[in-house]
Amino acid sequence: MSLESHELEELKTKIGRNPTSTELQIVAAEWSEHCSYKSSKKHLKMLPMDGPLVINEKGYDSGVLDVGDGYVVTAHIESHNHPSAVEPYGGAATGVGGVIRDILSAGTRPIALLDGLRFGNIENDKHAKWLFKNAVTGIADYGNCLGIPTVGGEVEFDECYKNYAMVDVAAIGFGKKENLIKNHAKKGDLVVLLGGATGRDGIGGSQFASDSLETEDRSAVQIPDPFIEKLIIEAILEARNEQLIHAMKDLGGGGLSCAVSETADALDIGIEMDVEKVHIRESDMHSDEIMISESQERMLIVTDNEKLIKLRKICEKFRIECSVIGHVTFDNKMHVKKGETSIANISTDIVANATLLDLPSRKPVYLENLETAKSFPQLSDYSETLMKLLGSPNIASKIWVYSQYDHEVGIRTVTKPGHDASVLRLDNGKSLSIKIDGNPKQCYINPREGAIGCFEEACRNVVCTGAKPIGMLDHLQFGNPNDPEIFWTFLESLKGLTDFAKDFEIPCVGGKVSLYNETSDGPIKPTPVIGVIGLIDKKPLRIQKITSGNSLIMIGETKDELGGSEYSEYVHKFIGGKCPSVDFTESKKNMSSVLEIIENKLIKSAHDCSKGGLAIAISELCMTNQIGCNISLEKIPGEKLDSDKILFSESHSRYLITFEKENIQNLEEILKKHNVSYSVIGEFTGDSIQFSNDSKPIIDLSVDKAQETWFNSLREMVLRA
Amino acid sequence: MTNYQVHVTIENKPGISDPEGKTILNDLVMKGTHKNISQIKTAKMLKFSIDETDKETAQSKIKEICDELRIYNPMVSVVKIDVFDV
Repeated sequence: MSLESHELEELKTKIGRNPTSTELQIVAAEWSEHCSYKSSKKHLKMLPMDGPLVINEKGYDSGVLDVGDGYVVTAHIESHNHPSAVEPYGGAATGVGGVIRDILSAGTRPIALLDGLRFGNIENDKHAKWLFKNAVTGIADYGNCLGIPTVGGEVEFDECYKNYAMVDVAAIGFGKKENLIKNHAKKGDLVVLLGGATGRDGIGGSQFASDSLETEDRSAVQIPDPFIEKLIIEAILEARNEQLIHAMKDLGGGGLSCAVSETADALDIGIEMDVEKVHIRESDMHSDEIMISESQERMLIVTDNEKLIKLRKICEKFRIECSVIGHVTFDNKMHVKKGETSIANISTDIVANATLLDLPSRKPVYLENLETAKSFPQLSDYSETLMKLLGSPNIASKIWVYSQYDHEVGIRTVTKPGHDASVLRLDNGKSLSIKIDGNPKQCYINPREGAIGCFEEACRNVVCTGAKPIGMLDHLQFGNPNDPEIFWTFLESLKGLTDFAKDFEIPCVGGKVSLYNETSDGPIKPTPVIGVIGLIDKKPLRIQKITSGNSLIMIGETKDELGGSEYSEYVHKFIGGKCPSVDFTESKKNMSSVLEIIENKLIKSAHDCSKGGLAIAISELCMTNQIGCNISLEKIPGEKLDSDKILFSESHSRYLITFEKENIQNLEEILKKHNVSYSVIGEFTGDSIQFSNDSKPIIDLSVDKAQETWFNSLREMVLRA
Repeated sequence: MTNYQVHVTIENKPGISDPEGKTILNDLVMKGTHKNISQIKTAKMLKFSIDETDKETAQSKIKEICDELRIYNPMVSVVKIDVFDV
């Protein structure tokens, strides 16, 4: 919970004396992995961060994309894994709050939230149920109170998260380009702390997140207060409109220590502050506690004397507290005083820039032969297997989760949760499509291909709404980086994401690295979560209900890639086999052909094939449209494979396109032009899901029965004690 | 066996914020004339009715139930258990 001995030596050398206790606390918070990214920062530079639409400004906590007509979209992703693992309700809720303030600090209004949730075995682990249930409630309560819709996300369960919780939150903001905060400061400017009072909650949280949970320090619990957050949002946006803000930063991990030192470092200024000016909740707080408290719902604002009067009026109107805690100096030092006594005086460059590490990496031993395929015994009853998968925790409908979230407040949500990606209406007539995806099962088997797969899947989802991907968010979650094998998986995933991002020219606009995610049974599987933001210049695809006689085209090849599939792991309890890999050329062709057919309004809906394979993807179409289908497996594009491989392989770059038969010629024209692998594989009719191979019936499942299982099984798993 | 009433009071640990209590204080009580009130804390109370041999066993049994079923989260809250004769 403090600096390591060599770091302490380094600090002493840099400042040429022994640090004070406050300096020690400040530096320990800022040099923690959570705040400094010391293990990952060197490598993160490989990601492409620039693009024609990207707006880069110093000191932004979120990525900014120009969406035309004078408007911008901001995006950010954060996690709150460690806090959620000990207090799922408050941990998940404050995770939402933190990422919202990152969006706010650029001067944009948060308009949507997405959550990626991962827990242990929900079927038989009582603790996993408790974590899951409370995390979902925490997110729902916080987002719903704020009037920000939670428009999408993902939920996954895996043994590797036993007694642990992965709570990732992505937020999207929207605003006018002219209203973006141009972070700057001049000598004599005032530093204001606005929002909730500083208390003892969350003391040492960032260091806590940089240790494994086993250290059992649990003072880091934070209590959410969405109503203060809502007032902060409105107050800040009003102050923004009146141009009262010179620079702004939210208080997250590391509290005041990090916010003050990072603001000063980013703006190339110094800040002198007095801890006695900070509004506190408990009268007996020590200065060091005030500096590192991670109390929620606070913002740091730089303004000047004149503007302060107006800012105070706004704060009074919204009844939020604000205190002038210091002022801007030009000596590039972070000077903390307690009344007249100086308790820390240290160069911001030293505080804000921990020495970056270049940790050793080594290919993990476990990976050897892991991708060797295993032949499974032939299934006696495919219908039964399909039913089992439809009711399995990772495939079953997540309606129990998203029905607790208000996903429509703000009336921007055009495509709601339960579809591939969510679509939001923007004020300039364009639409924004967003999705986050992760796949730890595949990332465990092949960290590179798995990570690329998450990226491509998120792109596919966005493409299915008719949107062109314009930016990505990466959230890299791994175990202890000091283990060379874990660090290798981190680097492999990062390299894969970089290659894909460069090749597809999708810049990384924001991200987060969360390390030290370990459970009592060891490290988690590599869990990168990728968010993709897509832009639709015209109207988004209006999904139409599939009716009897509509046809189904499959684009993209199905390959022998059962590694990391739900079928391998849930049905056969086998971890291993060939991980699906993305062929960049094929992927690009398929994406552009799908976008073109959507633009030409030739189809009723587009759906991507991912978790569970095409059997699940087609069943989803049947269940959500309440119609049966006849599918011929021999027509599926790709090499000839066994039925189970065709049905359940999770190969990438595949799309299911439903359409009125009369559009077939126009459709084929476009698909041929793009030279993609495709085939008409069947049609919708009747009331049962039917698959045949070479005219031999393989699956025959009533849509109603399938739907009942798919819709209800997750709720039953959670609520059944 | 005697029947006891057991009151379990669950509240946030000292030092952890209590937005609900604070809101009741600032937006309700302080708006009136009750200027002598300085703090309000919210808590949740469960009332158990239990048949046990004695008060001590009744108390420890209820504590056990609360811990085992995660009726409160020990990371956030403290419980106070009071046993009463019926």
